[in-house]
Amino acid sequence: MTESPPSAPRVLFLFTEVFANGGIQRFNQTILDASTSLGIHCRVLSLNDSPASAASHPEHHTLSVVGFSGNRRRFALAVAGELLQGRYDRVLIGHVNLLLLATAILALRPFSRAPTMLVAHGIEVWSGIGSTRRYALSRIDRILCVSHYTRRRILEQAPALAPGRLVIFPNALANTWGRVVTVPSARILPAHFILSVTRLDRGDRYKGIATVIEAFSMLADDSLHYCIVGHGNDLPFLQLVAERCGVTDRVHFMHGISDSELIVLYQKCTAFVLPSGKEGFGIVFLEAMFFGAPVIAAEEKGALDVVRDGETGLSVRFGDTIAIKEAIERMQSDLGLREHVRANGHSLVVEDGPFTFAGFTRRCAEVFEVGEATAA
Amino acid sequence: MCGILGLFTLTGVQPPPETFAAALERLKLRGPDDSGTWRDECVLLGHRRLAIVDLSPTGHQPMESSDRRYVIVFNGEIYNHRELRPRLNPRGGWRGTSDTETLIEAYRTWGVECLKHINGMFAFAIWDRTERTLFVARDRMGVKPLYYSDRNGSFGFGSRPGALSMLVGDGALEIDPEALRVFLELGYIPAPLSFHQDIHKLPAGHYLLVNARGIRRVRYWDYRSIKPDLSMNSRPEGELVEELDALIQSAVKIRLMADVPLGAFLSGGVDSALVVAAMKGAGVGHPKTFTIGFTEEAYNEGPAAAKAARYLGVDHIHETLDVNSLLELLPTYIQEYDEPFADSSAFPTMAVARLARRHVTVALSGDGADELFGGYHYYPLIDRLAPMLGWRAGTRRSAGRLFNSLPWHRTKLLASALQCSDVVGLFHFLRSVGKDYAPLVNPDVLQTTANSESWFAQFATGLAVDLSASENAMRLDAGLTLPDLFLQKVDIATMAYSLEARCPMTDYRLVEWSMRLPIQYKVRHGETKYLLKKVLSKYLPADCVYRPKMGFAVPLAQWLRGPLRAWAEELIHDDALMSRLPLDKARVRDLLRQQLEGDRESHPLLWSVLMLLCFVQNHAERRAMPVMAYREVA
Repeated sequence: MTESPPSAPRVLFLFTEVFANGGIQRFNQTILDASTSLGIHCRVLSLNDSPASAASHPEHHTLSVVGFSGNRRRFALAVAGELLQGRYDRVLIGHVNLLLLATAILALRPFSRAPTMLVAHGIEVWSGIGSTRRYALSRIDRILCVSHYTRRRILEQAPALAPGRLVIFPNALANTWGRVVTVPSARILPAHFILSVTRLDRGDRYKGIATVIEAFSMLADDSLHYCIVGHGNDLPFLQLVAERCGVTDRVHFMHGISDSELIVLYQKCTAFVLPSGKEGFGIVFLEAMFFGAPVIAAEEKGALDVVRDGETGLSVRFGDTIAIKEAIERMQSDLGLREHVRANGHSLVVEDGPFTFAGFTRRCAEVFEVGEATAA
Repeated sequence: MCGILGLFTLTGVQPPPETFAAALERLKLRGPDDSGTWRDECVLLGHRRLAIVDLSPTGHQPMESSDRRYVIVFNGEIYNHRELRPRLNPRGGWRGTSDTETLIEAYRTWGVECLKHINGMFAFAIWDRTERTLFVARDRMGVKPLYYSDRNGSFGFGSRPGALSMLVGDGALEIDPEALRVFLELGYIPAPLSFHQDIHKLPAGHYLLVNARGIRRVRYWDYRSIKPDLSMNSRPEGELVEELDALIQSAVKIRLMADVPLGAFLSGGVDSALVVAAMKGAGVGHPKTFTIGFTEEAYNEGPAAAKAARYLGVDHIHETLDVNSLLELLPTYIQEYDEPFADSSAFPTMAVARLARRHVTVALSGDGADELFGGYHYYPLIDRLAPMLGWRAGTRRSAGRLFNSLPWHRTKLLASALQCSDVVGLFHFLRSVGKDYAPLVNPDVLQTTANSESWFAQFATGLAVDLSASENAMRLDAGLTLPDLFLQKVDIATMAYSLEARCPMTDYRLVEWSMRLPIQYKVRHGETKYLLKKVLSKYLPADCVYRPKMGFAVPLAQWLRGPLRAWAEELIHDDALMSRLPLDKARVRDLLRQQLEGDRESHPLLWSVLMLLCFVQNHAERRAMPVMAYREVA
């Protein structure tokens, strides 16, 4: 069996990607930041990052990531080399797509295997867990589920797993947001606007942006604008939807936005609206809440852990354009409600809130079994 | 059934009374019993009435509210209007018993929220003389049509585009190239498109608010996002059968409201039989039912309908026709479908409407059940094909090449289906009647317009998550195919004979319930309409319930090679006519040649082209020819 962990454990992190803007990548950045702050010796192998990736993210300059630029063979060999040497106290698999590779290699060292953990994010584990993956999951010591929905879906597909091995390990607001300094921007913003921040790829239509555009077009207040921050290959379709709804002059697709500008958008928007149907967790909700935006989300999947209807935001049925319209109207007209959900949402990501970086770091300390002295 | 027409203008310039009267006259078949107009300095309202409820003059329209603030023109029926009356308090009391009066008082009391209270089929406009705002609404499922136009500072609306174009465009509006493209793909034009560039269909479940600030279009009811209630899976099946039966009974019962004779269409299928069974259950002793049979066995549902009628104990009226005799309806078809419409099942629908009108003024039909309860053959198919969409792109390409190299038509279709990017694309592929329309169309049109799949994709963004492929397909059908294809077909076919059709299966309570019903009660092991058939099994023996679906088919391919050949050739070889559409003449003619010589069955697309040409020719005869300015294809 493994040796007792030293006060500063060595952890091998296997990721698909770290330095990009998706939810999984942000989780990876946050867990590495937290681990580093705990004094953990982090060794990071990332399939899709390139050697230059880290350089383009100076805010994470303390992270050391070995990238393989998508080369699966080299990545697999490197993972095998690291795992077979057996010099780690913990192994964390950052994505279910790496599960089979890692467990197969670990099977070669059945008697000296480091405790292994898997991070289960969202859509990729909600279905498609067949017999091979079920077996691989049974070899994992702990499954860190980013939301209750993710945990439930895994247990539904793999009922033989001991429920105690699946722990809720929600995402948190990245430590870096508090350090961003807002600077004046030349960008002229509308006086009143709602905001969405998301990828705009065709495969991401479940984010619900088209339904927000339709709901937006139904509002009586034609002084309200809609700012959509993001880019992707579905932009022409969304522009077409805006045109068909007759709101092209009030829907603004924005990309190339700096963090500083994004913060201003969060701070000034009437509501942050992302009625996504398949959000694994929805880190972007935490960002919006941190900067004081009242949130409208869909009552689906991972978002349920963050947005409680009438408390930390407003929840609507996914796809229900009438409900989205009414939720926006409520945010506009009921200032008491708006302030209530804004304040409650903000409290989730500050001080003792459940989704703070400090709280996340404490959860890391628990799962990596870092002693208090080390953590300090 | 009625016809409505109106114009709202801020300029104060209104068309001459004779123009308005002529446009209103175009709606006469929709309402032969009465007509009326109303005007002030902003608004012109017109109505043609088919008297169904409250035959007295108190049902005359346009009608003012009890406080005279509002004026309404209304086409349709509010089935629950008697239940609503005790909650309303008209100034000076009720003047008559019509649902129109109930509706306008409901608006006076609740404003746009009245739409949440009413259950019916409707298209109406209410003018608020105080707020100077026009409120225009269409029913939840789109049983009744409503077209509108916003052009040159005037807002017009009407039951049919032909009448509206006379009012707002002097009959000479340009063709919408996107509508033309979508029509060739689908064989009909879904809302909000219409064949005229400046005319739009109001989508089902929407209303408009029109005033000096502009036009706001609002969806007021939406079933798309309702999630299946999986807890229904754990309930006894018999309980669900009873619940569905009760809902159908209720939907039918409220649709029996009429002060004129009422009957039902009865084919040999499940849906109409259920409606008739529910009529019996609601206390209609011997309802009159109507069927058209054909001398050709392949198209004849007459015996099956007669058998069902015997079991149900109804007064069944049956007419047997030679299928070719339907061709005599062609001129009426072209005249009444005043935008291109290529569903040839309109012919038998018109024939049965003609038969029914000899005996009754209102007929119930089973339309809507296929879309809500999984009746079409491609629902099981799409579930079988959908997993292929998950294959890697390279695998799909290779498989596509392989299937395409095989000599069979079906494998070639499968090869094309494999290229679809998602379930919506796959559904669109299966649903389109003109899969290879693109070479026929001028490249300018293809480059400057969106295809019909983009409309499907837009509609699909509101669908609940985690639905099966067939559930997605059913909801897309219910939202895009049912209103503007099947329900419009029924509306226009019955309108042509001044018959009112009512569709209990489109009752919104039934629609919402069907959305909650899990898929295994719709399609199970390839069996379509699983639960609906269980309900019908209470009333009919198994051999009546579990028989192959036939539908209202006509031998279009044979017609085009036989009795319609000269007509088709004349249309397609009319250079002047062809040059008015952005079509490649040579390719269209080649399409006809292939069909006539039996090289290829392309009659659905060919029929769409012929309907386009008929439409343009019809307008040319009325000196209101729509023309498209596109460069000619070499």
